[in-house]
Amino acid sequence: MIEGVPFRDDFLERYLCSHDVSSPPLIKRFFKIADGVFQPEKEEDVLRILKFAEKKKIPVIPRGAATSGYGGVIPVRGGFVVDFTRMDRFEIDEDGRILVSEPGAVWWDIERELNKKGLTLRVYPTSAFSSTVGGWIAQNGYGVGSLAYGSIAENVTRLRVADFRGVNETENIHLYAGLEGTTGMITKAWIEVKEFEEMQAYAFHVSPEKAVKLVFSSDSYSALFLDEKYIRMKNSVHSTQIPEKDTLVVVSKKKLDGDESLGNEIWEARFYPMKIKRLGPGIIPAEVIIPSERLSEYLQRISGWNAGSEVWFIKEKLCAVLSFLPWDERKASYTYQWRFAVKALKTAKKLGGRSYSSGLYLSRESKEIFPGYNELLRFKKEVDPHNLLNPVKVFPSGIISKIMALAGVF
Amino acid sequence: MKMDNSLVNNEVFVCVQCHYCRVCPAYSVLKWESVSPRGRIYMLKGIIKGEIEPDGEAVEDFYKCTTCGACEAVCQTSIPLIDVWERARAEFVNSGKAPLPVHKKLRDVAKKNGNPYGEKRGERGRWAEGYEFKSGAEMIYFAGCTASYRMTELARSTVEFLNKMGIDFTYAEEDEHCCGSPFLRTGQRDIAYQFFRKNYEEWRERGVKTIVTTCSGCYRTIAKDYPEIARELGYKWDFKVIHTVHLIKELVDGGKLEFEKSNDRVTFHDPCHLGRHMKVYDEPREILRKMGYEVVEMEHTKEESLCCGAGGGVKSQFKDLAMEIGKIRIDEALKTDADFVVSACPFCKLHLNQAGEGKIHVRDIVELVNERAKPLNTGKT
Ligand SMILES: Cc1cc2nc3c(=O)[nH]c(=O)nc-3n(C[C@H](O)[C@H](O)[C@H](O)COP(=O)(O)OP(=O)(O)OC[C@H]3O[C@@H](n4cnc5c(N)ncnc54)[C@H](O)[C@@H]3O)c2cc1C
Ligand code: SF4
Ligand code: SF4
Repeated sequence: MIEGVPFRDDFLERYLCSHDVSSPPLIKRFFKIADGVFQPEKEEDVLRILKFAEKKKIPVIPRGAATSGYGGVIPVRGGFVVDFTRMDRFEIDEDGRILVSEPGAVWWDIERELNKKGLTLRVYPTSAFSSTVGGWIAQNGYGVGSLAYGSIAENVTRLRVADFRGVNETENIHLYAGLEGTTGMITKAWIEVKEFEEMQAYAFHVSPEKAVKLVFSSDSYSALFLDEKYIRMKNSVHSTQIPEKDTLVVVSKKKLDGDESLGNEIWEARFYPMKIKRLGPGIIPAEVIIPSERLSEYLQRISGWNAGSEVWFIKEKLCAVLSFLPWDERKASYTYQWRFAVKALKTAKKLGGRSYSSGLYLSRESKEIFPGYNELLRFKKEVDPHNLLNPVKVFPSGIISKIMALAGVF
Repeated sequence: MKMDNSLVNNEVFVCVQCHYCRVCPAYSVLKWESVSPRGRIYMLKGIIKGEIEPDGEAVEDFYKCTTCGACEAVCQTSIPLIDVWERARAEFVNSGKAPLPVHKKLRDVAKKNGNPYGEKRGERGRWAEGYEFKSGAEMIYFAGCTASYRMTELARSTVEFLNKMGIDFTYAEEDEHCCGSPFLRTGQRDIAYQFFRKNYEEWRERGVKTIVTTCSGCYRTIAKDYPEIARELGYKWDFKVIHTVHLIKELVDGGKLEFEKSNDRVTFHDPCHLGRHMKVYDEPREILRKMGYEVVEMEHTKEESLCCGAGGGVKSQFKDLAMEIGKIRIDEALKTDADFVVSACPFCKLHLNQAGEGKIHVRDIVELVNERAKPLNTGKT
């Protein structure tokens, strides 16, 4: 298609690159599938793809590891998927403690190399075994280390981004972080890393209120709370025997008086939050950010749903609550049970919270997620006048956002 | 097409599409979603949901998998992926979309000769000229096709070693048939069942209780697949199946075997069929250490070990891919500065030596053991 740029347009590859980890009911019928999949090997390839797409007025949809679940990588209106798998080189500036990475590099591959140099990532998602630098920045998530270091965007100092005008190097991270490729394709990122320090995980059986107090009264690196229901689910699929009680795990370089062996056991399993999908088989997720002082109330209010929750604490006294309701995806009732995700978001909003992310399904939430939404919208129109950069994501338009708005009514 | 197998039908819905299985050697080389384990699972799900009718290219991509099990070892939701791949391949065969041309040819050839190499059945035991075998014993040496026709030094080393140790054993010569591994892995189960019957009857006739193999592929097949096939076909299964490394380790531990020491530095390549499929990791390393070798590990080792690239019908159908995968493993071995690589499977040795193009030599553990064995008690075991 474009000489020298790996490309496939057979049905199988297009079909396989037209979804993410989500399995939403019904609305899938409104999605197109990709017209083709490019795998650029260098920045110049990305520019050539963009030129080609602009000429043909075809959407371009960036894709990292497709581990996100808000529909961001779905080519809703067709178009070319730009899969960054082959752009995975990275360098480590040891003295400046800066990682300079292409977008397709995988977090855990980077972490292994950093560790060899006595360094470590400040923050990473629990999907680090597969998710990419570009994907997480474009999603602007929280994860391990966010208690001390905030979101990934707070740790990015510079970005190189390709759009229809060319390549631009910028410190205006907010114009791209969380915007899922709607304002440009990240081709390089400068990310702050830190010195490797020995840390220990400590477990405490405490209520959500106590957990919040404990977490924010210490200056720990990371903290994770699992509610009793989630632990019960985990035990049944991991064949572990973790006491089925609300449990907080705090990771710190300081010695704390929690249970070290249980702390380690839970911490080691942090990369497998979705193992419980086997219980459905299928899960309906609800992911929200809420002020930590409302955590207990939030968990109480969604407790009628039999969902299990894990909570990641974030600096500025926030927390990300990820709740899973196992449900058999093949059953007709699966569609109906998605009300859980809608109700959980409504509950969070009543308590001063918001959706964790925007993407395709929750683009109507963008105004609340992004404080400078109007400025971002202006910027989007300026760089992408034909709305070809991952259209229908983050900036709501078309039928999907209407359907989602309708779902919110029930 | 229909995808009726119940294991496949259930497990595809368990996958979260997390891509942890990107460790796949075929995906590492080819980079396309259709050759990633996650992509394969999604394709199967698409078939089950009636959203996709796989064409020839799709089925080919599905077969670009060595059944190495690296994906299964890291799977977020503990899906028994090797079984899923094999059962799905059997469904492709049932629906007429497979076998792929070379796999079909191997089947035709094996049907006639009892081996997939197209060699004459009567010559299966030719490597053993000069050795004498009893017609019956409690232990049988199962040489397998690769050691019988292509890597005969392994078969000879095994027999010499067993003789040195005074072990009472039998060997079926031309009455040994292919274990069926290439056919189970490529979805052609019926012919593997025929071989099972023939081997089973031969073992019963010879009064066999224990089967020892030097080939990791045969070991996995006879130890893991045969009991299941026996159950399916209503045969009684009471054989003990061991790999030569088990036997060697037992002799060393029992004070019956010592070695002439070597100071060489070696690295051990875990054959997928011995390691991830059967969880045998420590025995070969312990044996090598007893022999005085300095054992250094490659970056990916034991459960994380990289595949040699030859298995699952990949070498026969997709030679270039097999070579690319093999080269990655050789590069890892070179980085260890080992004097040579040791493995415990004729197929790995053959393939890695080809992929390595002489950059580093690959030897089988049974050859080293036979060369350096100092039996302490040659009484019958
Ligand atoms: C097991 C598991 C654990 C998870 N844990 C966490 C967690 O702890 N925290 C968290 O926040 N999320 C988590 N997630 C969600 C997801 O993994 C993260 O959002 C992830 O970082 C996305 O990275 P990716 O490479 O998969 O991106 P993708 O899903 O491929 O892409 C994400 C978005 O970014 C866009 N994009 C991709 N590459 C580029 C680029 N180069 N330029 C511009 N836009 C681009 C895509 O179009 C898409 O909209 C988890 C998911 C799983 C399956
Ligand atoms: S068995 Fe090996 S080659 Fe096959 S999909 Fe899994 S990792 Fe890839
Ligand atoms: S690791 Fe397992 S659950 Fe994750 S994508 Fe691969 S097969 Fe699916």
